[in-house]
Amino acid sequence: MTSRERVANAINHRLPDRIPVDFGSTGVTGIHVSCVAALREHYGLEPRPVRVHEPYQMLGLVEDDLKDAMGIDVDGVFGRKTLFGIPADNWKPWRTQQGLDVLVPGDFNTTVDSNGDILIYPEGDFNAPPSGRMPNGGYFFDTIIRQEQIDDDSLKPEDNLEEFSPISDEDLQHTVAGAALAASGTRAVVAGIGGTAFGDIALVPAPFLKHPKGIRDIGEWYMSTRSRREYIHTIFSRQCEIALGNLEKVHAATGTNIDVVFLCGTDFGTQTSTFCSVGTFRELWFPYYKTVNDWIHKHTEWKCFKHSCGSVIRFIPSFIEAGFDILNPVQCSATGMDPETLKREYGDRIVFWGGGVDTQQTLPFGTPAQVRTEVIERCRIFSQGGGFVFNSIHNVQAATPVENIVAMINAVHDFNGVATHA
Amino acid sequence: MPDLDKLYEAVLNGDHKTASAIAKDAVEAGVDALDLVARYMVPAMDEVGRRFECEDYFVPELLLSARAMKAALEYVRPLLAAQGAQPAGRVVIGTVKGDLHDIGKNIVSALLEGGGFEVTDLGADVAPERFVEAVHTHQPDLICLSALLTVTMPSMRNTIQALEAAGVRGKVKVLVGGAPVTREFANAIGADGYGENAAVAVSLARQFTGAQAA
Repeated sequence: MTSRERVANAINHRLPDRIPVDFGSTGVTGIHVSCVAALREHYGLEPRPVRVHEPYQMLGLVEDDLKDAMGIDVDGVFGRKTLFGIPADNWKPWRTQQGLDVLVPGDFNTTVDSNGDILIYPEGDFNAPPSGRMPNGGYFFDTIIRQEQIDDDSLKPEDNLEEFSPISDEDLQHTVAGAALAASGTRAVVAGIGGTAFGDIALVPAPFLKHPKGIRDIGEWYMSTRSRREYIHTIFSRQCEIALGNLEKVHAATGTNIDVVFLCGTDFGTQTSTFCSVGTFRELWFPYYKTVNDWIHKHTEWKCFKHSCGSVIRFIPSFIEAGFDILNPVQCSATGMDPETLKREYGDRIVFWGGGVDTQQTLPFGTPAQVRTEVIERCRIFSQGGGFVFNSIHNVQAATPVENIVAMINAVHDFNGVATHA
Repeated sequence: MPDLDKLYEAVLNGDHKTASAIAKDAVEAGVDALDLVARYMVPAMDEVGRRFECEDYFVPELLLSARAMKAALEYVRPLLAAQGAQPAGRVVIGTVKGDLHDIGKNIVSALLEGGGFEVTDLGADVAPERFVEAVHTHQPDLICLSALLTVTMPSMRNTIQALEAAGVRGKVKVLVGGAPVTREFANAIGADGYGENAAVAVSLARQFTGAQAA
């Protein structure tokens, strides 16, 4: 069974020959660049600086040789530009604050402020206000909120729609080429097409725009989901129309090269609860999700991938009804997200792409033996009857010991009954 | 004389414009500031906290109510200060060094303020020595530490150690919270309390200072 066949079985709720594994196919199933470098060294791969293909979270590109070493079954197709609006090309050397030599996109332009924080500029334009900050000694960027004074009388939904537009020829060709390249191999293909995330709080501040307008402050956005609901509906409605047009174009141009589309990373869960009620979700988000997913299911063979951190167990029936096929990251450490319950109640209707090991405690702070125990247990629970793609719960975070990451991968392969690399 | 029940409603419903207008009118009409806070504003925020606990309110509603409370307090606070009114307790709050995430910290800060506490917010990416300095400057009863990232959780331990090294640990209670933080972690680093959400943090703060809910 090829990797692509293995994933196809898993996401169609059939038993694959073994549990498929994803690391690196999306911005929510990735690995911090420092850990990618450590893994390359561990597996004895050609020493070379790792590419930071997603600078916001400082995710390292998991290249084919590392995928082979780790036994990864999925390839990713990423958008042409990163979260700071800079194309992921023209790579240049950069040294992280921990002294690791990496490669960053050519327009990854930064300055250092008086506090020693690193500031990054949208589209690499030093003339625009910086849109991201990495604290002195830090590992990740966080968005700098650029919120103009809000006057409700003159607030225009168009201002929050600047980033949503018909896909450009350049972006389309990038996705088409990426999908063709990925599909020429044997792995399954996950593509992020963009524009289908409704109110993703990482995207609302628009770190990719030089001068964002509208509602860009995170707190203001959350409040607006309650106090300016019609405004949000107008944004989502227009965004949905544009997304459908783009999905149609991408599908027409990529044919059968894509297996899964990563549609939306909007988090509805917190560690112990949710960001809104199920009722609000169904009133404000559900119609747009359903429209997008229905179009995809009617016109394509793609599976629809939804990411939401946190305690979302009460939302899962609505996710399923809205047409999502796959849930990630399956945060088992959040309240109510018990693996046995999730699998028993929803395992035949939604694929769990994640849930393999906790990245808040076990993976960064546990022992390799604790990692192994948790991974084996999650594999046992989630793999029954298919419907499971192994991934940690969200990206592997910086400063995670490499021996724990290796223990995780070895545990999956041991469960699968396949030989592991050293 | 404004209808003060409407101030309660405005805070509860997160209507900052109305909350601000009524507070202004009430102050101008000579309503006792302490009475305004104790009988209308703090009870409204307590009800907000209660609704959050029973999942009738969520983050958007918390933020809206906190903003309304803050808007009303702008008019009331100078009078409270002039009267020499004592807060429920003094709190210094911040997101620890290396971490820029502040939404959770802001919510806790707003609810504490709404609960009658005097809050000094040091912001995000706050070095241990700044917390130590704040203990000297503000003499708080409590220090609240927030972290979202696993890589910055050790900064909580470092902060507590810095308080110990400066000889001020015994003067304050330390509360910790944030997505990756657990009760076990809080115990392991020697924190006095762990707030799994904002409402719990306020309850703990009251517990530690002996302040009563309205």
